[in-house]
Amino acid sequence: MHELGAVFEIVRTVESFARANGVTKVDTLVLQIGELSSMIPKYIEDCFPAAADGTLLQGTKLRIETLPGNALCTSCKAVFNPIENSGVCPGCGGEDWTLLSGKEFLIKEIIAC
Amino acid sequence: MDAFKVLEIKKSVYEGNDERADSLRAELRNDGIFLLNLMSSPGSGKTTTIVRTIEALRDEMAIGIMEADIDSDVDARAVARTGARVIQLHSGGMCHLDAEMTKQGLSGLGTRGLDLVILENIGNLICTAEFDTGASGNAMVLSVPEGDDKPLKYPPMFSLVDVVLVNKMDAIGFFDFDLEAFSARVMRLNPKARVIPISAKTGEGIGGWADWIRGEVKAWKGAR
Repeated sequence: MHELGAVFEIVRTVESFARANGVTKVDTLVLQIGELSSMIPKYIEDCFPAAADGTLLQGTKLRIETLPGNALCTSCKAVFNPIENSGVCPGCGGEDWTLLSGKEFLIKEIIAC
Repeated sequence: MDAFKVLEIKKSVYEGNDERADSLRAELRNDGIFLLNLMSSPGSGKTTTIVRTIEALRDEMAIGIMEADIDSDVDARAVARTGARVIQLHSGGMCHLDAEMTKQGLSGLGTRGLDLVILENIGNLICTAEFDTGASGNAMVLSVPEGDDKPLKYPPMFSLVDVVLVNKMDAIGFFDFDLEAFSARVMRLNPKARVIPISAKTGEGIGGWADWIRGEVKAWKGAR
């Protein structure tokens, strides 16, 4: 499980962002995770309370938005979801493509109160 | 009415590590030390390959080795027998090394006077590819028994590396490993990668690998 290290990094980043912006309490933290990222939302949710304990983010709610995977077919230029189509272009059956999105792991925003 | 306000951050979680990795790379460039990150699955022969690499290069450059594992020091002991400077890093359960851990490892190793440091990353083909360690070069070992289909299964790793060492070539007769098909799969993901077949056991191919390192170390020092 490699999510814990990333979650500690998130807590550090958000804490320093909050301090720099005069925020003393964060109601909700919003993350965006691409569906092809190696980070599993469930595990992020599971370890977040432990990482946030004793920090400015203790008690903060976590919301995770999933970003879809998009691939560009090399031969017919169609854009398709490589997971739903098992890596095969639904337009021409090509298996050669480049990934446009889906590997993101972003701290999107905080809702401060 | 509650005064909730939304503050946009829009920052990649990997950004902090990427910044630390870049600053570590700059430091190493300044000191003329080439850091090579060597990755593979467990049991591919990374440590034996490192021992062979030290034997091939130790007369011409000062080499340090960082052995990263979840536990134990068996690899460090094997490498220490070559006379190279070595440190064992324990990741404490973490499945990859990041730039911060690499920096700590380098400071524990003591890099003064070294030309080349090889980081033997944790045996794992997945997330070791996702965290920049600050290395100046990235290579991996894929052994023949693992199969020629691995580039299809672990594309991030094969897309990242500068060199793929195909190890255990001495045993290729016992396995259905198609070196040509394997190389084509690597090239499709990463046209810049070099595939070098080796046998860490017999020493086959180590010369070509040592040549690549020599060239990189020289270029890295020259770019100072």
